[in-house]
Amino acid sequence: MGQALTKPIRETTTTTPPHGRTKYFAGKLLARIPVWILVALLLIVVLYPLIWLLLSSFKTTEEFNTSAFWTLPSGLAWQNYAQAWNSGMGTYFLNSVLVVFPSLLLVLVFSLAASFGLEVMKWRFNNVVLLIFLAGIMIPSQMILLPLFTMYFQAGLINTRWALIITYTAASLPLSVFLMAGFFKNVPRTIIEAAVLDGASIYQVFFQVAVPMVANGLITIGLVNFFFLWNDLLFSLTFISSDNLRTIQTGLLNFVGQYGQIDWGPTFAGAAIAVFPTLIVYLILNQQVIKGLTAGSIKG
Amino acid sequence: MEAMLRDRKAILVFVGPALLIYSVVILVPIIWSLVYTVFEGSVIGGFQFVGLHNYAELFSDPTFWQAFLFTVKYAVVVTIGQVGIGLLLALLYVFYLGKASPLIRTLVFFPVVLPTVAVAALFKKIFEITPTYGLVNSLLHVIHLDAWIQPWLGQAGSAFWVIAIMDIWRSMGFYGVLLFAGLVDIPAEIFESAKIDGASGWRMVRYIVLPLLAPILFSSFIFSINGTLKVFDSVLALTNGGPGQATTPLTLYMFTTAFSNGEYGYGSTIATALAIMCLFVTLLIFRSARQDVG
Amino acid sequence: MPQLPLQFGTPINRRQFVKVAAGTSLSLTAFLAACGSTSTGSSLNSNGSANIEFLSVQQAGTGWPLILATITDQYARTHPGTTFKVDYIAQNNLNQQVQLLAGQGALPVLYNSPPPDLLAKLSKDGEVLDLESTFQQLGVSDQITPGAVSVLNKIFGSPLTQLPFELNVEGFWYNKQIFAQHSIQPPNTWDELVQICANLYQKGIQPLTASGIQGWPITRLIGNYIFRSLGPDALLNVKNGQAKLTDPPYVEAATAVANLGKHGYFGKGVATLDYTPALDLYLNGTAAMMYMGSWELRDFNDPTVNKIGADNVGFFPFPNVTGGAGNSSQTPMNAGQTTTVNKAKYNATVGQWLAYMVKNYGDVALQKEGAVTGFAVHNPPANLPALTTLVINLIKQTAQPVLWFEALFTTKATNISQQDAAPLVTGAMSPQAFMAAVQQANQS
Repeated sequence: MGQALTKPIRETTTTTPPHGRTKYFAGKLLARIPVWILVALLLIVVLYPLIWLLLSSFKTTEEFNTSAFWTLPSGLAWQNYAQAWNSGMGTYFLNSVLVVFPSLLLVLVFSLAASFGLEVMKWRFNNVVLLIFLAGIMIPSQMILLPLFTMYFQAGLINTRWALIITYTAASLPLSVFLMAGFFKNVPRTIIEAAVLDGASIYQVFFQVAVPMVANGLITIGLVNFFFLWNDLLFSLTFISSDNLRTIQTGLLNFVGQYGQIDWGPTFAGAAIAVFPTLIVYLILNQQVIKGLTAGSIKG
Repeated sequence: MEAMLRDRKAILVFVGPALLIYSVVILVPIIWSLVYTVFEGSVIGGFQFVGLHNYAELFSDPTFWQAFLFTVKYAVVVTIGQVGIGLLLALLYVFYLGKASPLIRTLVFFPVVLPTVAVAALFKKIFEITPTYGLVNSLLHVIHLDAWIQPWLGQAGSAFWVIAIMDIWRSMGFYGVLLFAGLVDIPAEIFESAKIDGASGWRMVRYIVLPLLAPILFSSFIFSINGTLKVFDSVLALTNGGPGQATTPLTLYMFTTAFSNGEYGYGSTIATALAIMCLFVTLLIFRSARQDVG
Repeated sequence: MPQLPLQFGTPINRRQFVKVAAGTSLSLTAFLAACGSTSTGSSLNSNGSANIEFLSVQQAGTGWPLILATITDQYARTHPGTTFKVDYIAQNNLNQQVQLLAGQGALPVLYNSPPPDLLAKLSKDGEVLDLESTFQQLGVSDQITPGAVSVLNKIFGSPLTQLPFELNVEGFWYNKQIFAQHSIQPPNTWDELVQICANLYQKGIQPLTASGIQGWPITRLIGNYIFRSLGPDALLNVKNGQAKLTDPPYVEAATAVANLGKHGYFGKGVATLDYTPALDLYLNGTAAMMYMGSWELRDFNDPTVNKIGADNVGFFPFPNVTGGAGNSSQTPMNAGQTTTVNKAKYNATVGQWLAYMVKNYGDVALQKEGAVTGFAVHNPPANLPALTTLVINLIKQTAQPVLWFEALFTTKATNISQQDAAPLVTGAMSPQAFMAAVQQANQS
């Protein structure tokens, strides 16, 4: 949807502004100091709560009651983390891993195959089916929640990890198929033709030609889905009720409910533990993450 | 090659699994959900046909309308906040920051990826009043504005704003980057020729930037409204819909109706109402976008 | 565009593709099946000994699970292999979890009971054991105290189906030191209570503490006011349709409690307080009074939790309402969160355990936690804490107990009542609207 009136001068696959523009305005600004104050304020607003979270997780309960909120912790109260981990956060973390990664794998495999079939292969209904997948992006999860609950209930899948894996996989398919189809559109047909002329079967074309060409797309889609699934609350709240199967979000909810208002230290530690994985993924792959999450919304 | 690309069996193998699981888990439940709206009961208690009773109840249910109003109010406020601040951020990134821009963008984007429950736990502590003052109340105490100390999450009005602030804080970086990408698409020559014509600063933004950004802005609005109409996580984790049901959006109302009161039929009716709302709003924005941009 | 080496030496055809896909799925399945958790819920171990599983809102190592575990350990000395296990579920999720497990036939042999209307459904499905006849068979009918039986029958009807791991009285617990410092005497009437609140509030002391998030600590006050002003059957009349909660005398109760909130007697953060922090405000001396049940004896007698000391904890019953039909000797009593035995999982082996447990629960609870239960005590410990003795005497003295506000309500009405308690006391909801909402929920 970002149609410019004329073709942009530069390739906009990079995310830095063309230098000419910045220098032009920078020179014109009367005082640059206010900008840096603005930026500093912005960073404080965005980062201070998180820093506060981290620092507070290292305080002991007495420190909370006696010293002011901005003081640094006097020591590193690692026992907060130990308590948080042992009181359940460890289990919740593990459950999230056990549920999210298989789903991710399934989503990637299915959407790869499906988008290839929809975008590269030719048949009468491929546009219709593509539209059917797209429609799924619009539906609120609440629409499917109750029937799914009934289905899983009859199948005895309530309170099992399967319920989540199946749901996560299915719910991630619309967007993934959509994005992946977009990537497949960019695969030049000439390369495929060349492969066919060399004697490849359709499956070989898929595995050895098409898939490697959308490898980048795989990472993007993987990341987009990782964040959606890791942070899911509604489905895990509905389908899982026993404590030892909870995932991170529902587990943290439970954890905060138990310790929340009294034991600040472990509560903050628990929240910090919940935040770490996403933080690490983000730190390592931030550009990919940003591109991926925004690509998911710009297109279409 | 044509024959190979039309190989029916291969197509089935490729598209089949995804389509199957999608149909069973998404499509069938949608229809099923609509069917539920003319029944009442639960999986445990059994179901009874009630005709259009649920719909009648919906229209006369004050709690439904309260939740409806809250949902709309929330969607409007947070969308304006997110996209508006996102726009300001994008302008900042493009026009005022040079080399530091990628770093700042990355930092401000960070809250977007955090789990909502963790963010809510954090904000609960920031706005806490009892048993000890949280960040905000401590600050007010320290600068001697004690009269302003209040139970931010215990009052309907202020609780709404805390939720809104939390979600805007969380997502503004996202819209900042989104709109930034759109801004960057605008060729530099447009700005230069506008400058020659005498435009600068605010006028530049109003007459050049905004119109060119319009498509992406609309896209962002749709995306934002869609997401905010379906708010669930933030509210559940921060106030659980309280105090009372003052901060209950339609999604949460549907959830408690179905699972706490065991009324699946009525719950499905609320969900259907929500889905219709989402579709309606999206179509509305699409229409007005078509008329404007042409 | 990168150059791809086009090597098609090893052909992959459709069969192989499907094989790979199937293989992945199968291995995933195996992996996950191993990781998935299922509970068979059988009440018998493989060696024929009893396997007692308890779905509870209390965690292992505390409260009832702790006592049951202790008893089972003793029992296992003569009946080796007997095991006891707790499945913790948060109170808010209990109803849903019970329904879930019941539908799957996975409800364990012991489970904390859902509200009476749901329990009736479970009873129809054969998941509720008739304790009255079972106890007769086992010869332990005398192990449950008459007071407990009468309270339970009032709530659940007969025959007896509930295990009363608690027997509680409720009233106001006050900080003796604060009262003494300001020369305050415990009140006899509601108006006196309000005056005490005003007095303390003026002096900068928080008069009352209650959990707005839980809601029931506030609605208890409404219910008791109704009992005091209209008599002990006032809420039964509502259930039978002879009166409505929206009738003026009932609304008056809501107004009285709302006024407490209006004047700020609950403290500023009442709507944000959960159960434990609210309790804590009393136990650390911040709040002068707290309406609470005697299940908290556990904490009152625990010096690490009770910062004001057990000697400082005083009790006065819910006061009279001037000109009312009830009086303060009608102590609110309840059996707290009761427990049901699952008929579908019950058998003779479990019955032996049950008989042993019933005979010992009263004693062990009193010894280990100073907790008063609905079970008979055979060897009362020599030096009981003063508060425990107070409670035991109060139970003995109460001829006519009353229940609580939501005791006879539907599940939906209970939810609404407890949810709307906080807005009622913060002034966001009027007493009329509150009563109307609850009345309507009761009727639907």
